[in-house]
Amino acid sequence: MRDATIQDFLNFNLIHKDLERYAQVDDVISEITALDREQQRLICDWSELIACSNRELAAYFFFMAPNASRHMDHQNFIAWIDLTITKFKKLGLDEAMVALKDFCKFSLSSIECYPSCQFDDVCRFLHYFVRGLGGREMRVISDQSTFTDTGTLFLPSSIDLFPFAELNYTLYKLTATHLWAQTRYGTWRYSVTKKLVENCLTEEKLAVFNRLECLRIDESVRRDFPGLYREFKALGDKDLAAREHWLQWRERAGILLEPGKTAEDSFFLIDDFMEFSLPPLKYYQGEMFVDKVYEVMRERIDREKTRFQSEWQTLRVHKDAAVGEEARQDPLEELIEVIKSDENKELSDLNIQITMEGAVSNISDSQQRLISSIFQDFDGIPEEYIKSIEISRSHQEEQSQIKSSNNSQDQDLNSHKLFKYHEWDFIQQRFRKDFCTLREFLIIPDDESFVHETLKKYGGLLKSIRKTFAGVLGETRLMRRQMDGDDIDLDAIIETYADAAHGLENREYIYTRYRNHNRNVAVMFMVDMSGSTLGWVNKAERESLVLLCEALEILGDRYAIFGFSGSGNNGCEVYRIKEFEQVYDQQVQRRISGIRPKSYTRMGTAIRHLGHLLNLTHARNKLLITLSDGRPEDCDNYKGRYGIEDTRHALMEMKQSGIHTFCITIDNQAQDYLPHMYGEANYTVIDEVQKLPQKVADIYRRLTT
Amino acid sequence: MAKPEIQTKQSFIIEEPYYESIADEIAVFSSAYRNRLPVLLKGPTGCGKTRFIEHMAWRLKRPLVTVACHDDLTTSDLVGRYLIKNGETVWIDGPLTSAVRNGSICYLDEIVEARKDTSVVIHSLCDNRRLLPIEKLGELLPAPAEFCLTISYNPGYQSVLKDLKQSTRQRFIALEFNYPNTNLERIIIEKETNCEINTACQLVKLGSMTRKLKGNGLEEGASTRLLINAAKLISDGILPVVATDTAVAQALTDDTEMLEAIHELSRSVF
Repeated sequence: MRDATIQDFLNFNLIHKDLERYAQVDDVISEITALDREQQRLICDWSELIACSNRELAAYFFFMAPNASRHMDHQNFIAWIDLTITKFKKLGLDEAMVALKDFCKFSLSSIECYPSCQFDDVCRFLHYFVRGLGGREMRVISDQSTFTDTGTLFLPSSIDLFPFAELNYTLYKLTATHLWAQTRYGTWRYSVTKKLVENCLTEEKLAVFNRLECLRIDESVRRDFPGLYREFKALGDKDLAAREHWLQWRERAGILLEPGKTAEDSFFLIDDFMEFSLPPLKYYQGEMFVDKVYEVMRERIDREKTRFQSEWQTLRVHKDAAVGEEARQDPLEELIEVIKSDENKELSDLNIQITMEGAVSNISDSQQRLISSIFQDFDGIPEEYIKSIEISRSHQEEQSQIKSSNNSQDQDLNSHKLFKYHEWDFIQQRFRKDFCTLREFLIIPDDESFVHETLKKYGGLLKSIRKTFAGVLGETRLMRRQMDGDDIDLDAIIETYADAAHGLENREYIYTRYRNHNRNVAVMFMVDMSGSTLGWVNKAERESLVLLCEALEILGDRYAIFGFSGSGNNGCEVYRIKEFEQVYDQQVQRRISGIRPKSYTRMGTAIRHLGHLLNLTHARNKLLITLSDGRPEDCDNYKGRYGIEDTRHALMEMKQSGIHTFCITIDNQAQDYLPHMYGEANYTVIDEVQKLPQKVADIYRRLTT
Repeated sequence: MAKPEIQTKQSFIIEEPYYESIADEIAVFSSAYRNRLPVLLKGPTGCGKTRFIEHMAWRLKRPLVTVACHDDLTTSDLVGRYLIKNGETVWIDGPLTSAVRNGSICYLDEIVEARKDTSVVIHSLCDNRRLLPIEKLGELLPAPAEFCLTISYNPGYQSVLKDLKQSTRQRFIALEFNYPNTNLERIIIEKETNCEINTACQLVKLGSMTRKLKGNGLEEGASTRLLINAAKLISDGILPVVATDTAVAQALTDDTEMLEAIHELSRSVF
């Protein structure tokens, strides 16, 4: 680097002035230029990174680094910086400056190592971080290999490459980002993945592809996330030789660095690069498993294609209703145009617009997410997606004839009440009269030891829930114009004064008094007992109910708990666990313990029935809360769009009768359908089952205060 | 009884409040005003509802009376009350009454926070009658043509006890607000703070990242107001990451992991 380049660098990062406090800037610059090119770059990269947190520290590092780099090898040098950053974050600027100053005393073997960074400690952070980056919603889990299948990021269970936890933590973030970027920037476009699968690439060729894609992705990250790119540069390479090696590849593959280049370009370059030796993988780079990607992708493509067609069928119905009969004859493909807007790319990751007949259509967030996901697979909407799907009415009718299955293994259930309910058919836009038969059962009680175990397990949490709920109860309200009270009501006494002046009768209600606020809430908990809750979910549901009951007993709100499941339209079932007027006693506790997964989730009928029960109670605020683990589904045609629309209709009926509805779910995909069913503000997704017991009570408190 | 005059001239907005139109809300509000219809502004916190009403008050050249509603707000607080002065009772108009008398725009901010019985007092003002009953004076005060009632609320509140009653909401022309699109939000941040275009772009990007976390650990994403606050700090020489940590992350959440995630998202864009 030339003096002027370094001077520019210092000015750009605003560390020039701070540097003047330690030495003549020109002297430092000449010391830097005396180093070899890679060391110069390394110092500049790290200075830039540190300057983002503190310019003074960056200047001091820049001042100390030339001397330090002469005394240390690459590994020690990185560890020294790691120590400095760790000290800055944990102990502040002064301690970090001391760490920089004492580079002579620093030796990697002598330092007190921080524990390695564990996946469990960072998984929540990574989930939030990757979600915030945008694109398709990805799961983050730990695995023996580091890779992505385009639906999940698989990361190591711990990272201990660096001697300090701080850098290991950063490396977790960078690895997750790199894997996320593969999906976001099109490494796994369908066309490319298909080529990779069909050409049965050798391991060597895949290794070259992995490196070329790394160069292309890093460049895209540089354009969109300069901060992340700085960390990629500073932390990516094992040593200076590897850094140099990558630099050579970068120069050779210069064409890939241009904006607009895709994974296809990397694919076509593979053969040209086979003759060159491979640089070692970057620290943050994972492996590539094409088969796993292809498997997940095909499953997703089928799912999203069906959903896309179903969603657009609806859009068309709405559009037809708006424009009149004649438009209904047009084929769907002539009505829809999907535009991916490239302008303002620096602002938005995927700016997608849907136009129907030339006019921009409003699409929901979940539709936007769906299109964005399809774009990440195809870089557009494939033509075959945009065609009308005729929903086979005969098939529907045939399916609707399927009667309830032989679910009568539960013969031990001791109470049978029969109810008939309508079901909403969104295709015909009318009710199917008395289509569903619902039976009400009493749940078979189990041993109450589960309740005791739960109370013991969550003793600390329960204490804090009780305290919070007691706080809610303790909320007081100032009652004005009371016969007697804590204070004089100024308004009332002035009026009395005025009345007296006019010769009117004196008023007696002249006091104010604080009184506990009367909550007047009745709440119905509707617990999903479908087969999919088997295992952890069922346990978490039961634990949540135990904690909730304990909390509700403090509030004194009227509450009932019912489970729901069933199979087929004539086999809908609800299970009584606690009724409104029932006391929370050992019997109820044993019934909570006895909640077991049954069969399917025909939600609409259960909502209508439990809403009816809720309406029989007298309360100013009525609330129906659903604890669920997935979308409504039954063994017949009650699935997908049909199930969602019936459930939505049932919820709208509840709203019309004055019942507020809310859903707590652990389904990560819930954002695709819950806003449509419950409304944007009336649901909560809990990302981990284990957190359900902690969260449910808290959500209830927020909902009703 | 003496009736002191309210000095509403003070609440005239002299300088044009900066406002970028998102859709046709200015035209709709102006039309509602001409047709003497009350207006309901819906939208998340910090998306520009209050700024919009200030802008409209300036545009229509009417004084603006703003009432921040809270759960102890009584009818008297809005309509007025008697006070004792020199042994005599003196009637003092509340903000709503004075707004009606002076033909102002009355803005009841976060109306759902007020007691439900309080919001009922506005009913007769919001239909064709346009009358404010002042029970204590035995007076039915007709609203002049210039008077306009505007209320706001945030439909994102997850509390069943804080919902707007149908009988109230069905009296209003409702305008829905949301965060502006990325391009517009960048322009707003730039114009509000005179920051560099690049800083505004990066803040908008951070804003949209946090909004993706809504329902995924955050109750709300960063509002335009928070982004503007961060831009002001950055323009004043504070490091961008420090500015966003204090103006955005800490204002959004107390959750350690979420704070860390927003901090790192901020570092990734700056």
